[in-house]
Amino acid sequence: MMNDEMEQLERRLNHQPLRQIPAEWRGEILAAADVDRRNVRAFTSAATIGARLREIFWPAPAAWAGLAAVWIFIFAVNFSMRDSSPRLAEKSAPPSPEVIVELRQQQRLFAELVGPRETRDADRPRIFTPKPRGERAELVAV
Amino acid sequence: MKMPGRKEIERLYDAHAPALFAFLLNLTRAEADTRDLLQEIFVKLAREPKLLAGIRQERAFLIRLAHNAAIDLMRRRGTRERTKENFAAEIISPFAPTSDPDEKIFRDELADALGELPPEQRAVVHLKLWGGLTFEEIAAALEIPPNTAASRYRYGLDKLRGRLRPLYEEMKKAE
Repeated sequence: MMNDEMEQLERRLNHQPLRQIPAEWRGEILAAADVDRRNVRAFTSAATIGARLREIFWPAPAAWAGLAAVWIFIFAVNFSMRDSSPRLAEKSAPPSPEVIVELRQQQRLFAELVGPRETRDADRPRIFTPKPRGERAELVAV
Repeated sequence: MKMPGRKEIERLYDAHAPALFAFLLNLTRAEADTRDLLQEIFVKLAREPKLLAGIRQERAFLIRLAHNAAIDLMRRRGTRERTKENFAAEIISPFAPTSDPDEKIFRDELADALGELPPEQRAVVHLKLWGGLTFEEIAAALEIPPNTAASRYRYGLDKLRGRLRPLYEEMKKAE
């Protein structure tokens, strides 16, 4: 009697239709899952690259660190050299045309103020007449 | 490890989402919570490719995911309710609406009676009556021994019978 009642109740309950899942959820939920799946894929790709780099660098970390230090030193030296090179270029560069014109004007003005240039004794060229060694010795004695 | 593609997730959704929806709605009694949990499950499937590797019974596995997620949510919601922040939450029946007034009364009573069962009994009753699972399958899904599943079902059904008997007998007389 009891079992019959239970079976009837089970059957009755079993035939109660359940509420249906809203149709619009499908698109929303699958879109959310897809976005997450793509994010995970991008992250996985980055992780794979990281893992490969680790495989390359991991066997000899000291050697790679030494190589990196050498490169840092080379870059440092290169930068310090590059820093001084513009000054050297400035020193060796010819004066600009404006400066040359200015200098010539100043020279001309100076020449007008001073007048014609007289040559001093010291500036005069000596006429040198070669003489025999004997004559020169006599002159010294006199 | 091959990741489940969009097609695979779509297949899983079409095959299992309606059953998971009914199960989750019966446990949570809130449509918004059910949607959140369902999305959480499918996002998890898309994110963790290892989850389905070597799984033979997809339905049982997905029910386990859903059950664990629902229990976590109910614990959190229990805390919220204790702090009186959840009064406005809408309680939804897991059964389809009907225009027949007698059926409506019976379904409403049944929904209330189910809501009074402890979650572990409600889960077993739902899976046996509306999920079409055997006690072995329910045991595998909920990670409990089959005997425990069977006894929870009996206890649950007894409570439903006691609660629904007056209405049920009245309806039988009317027939």
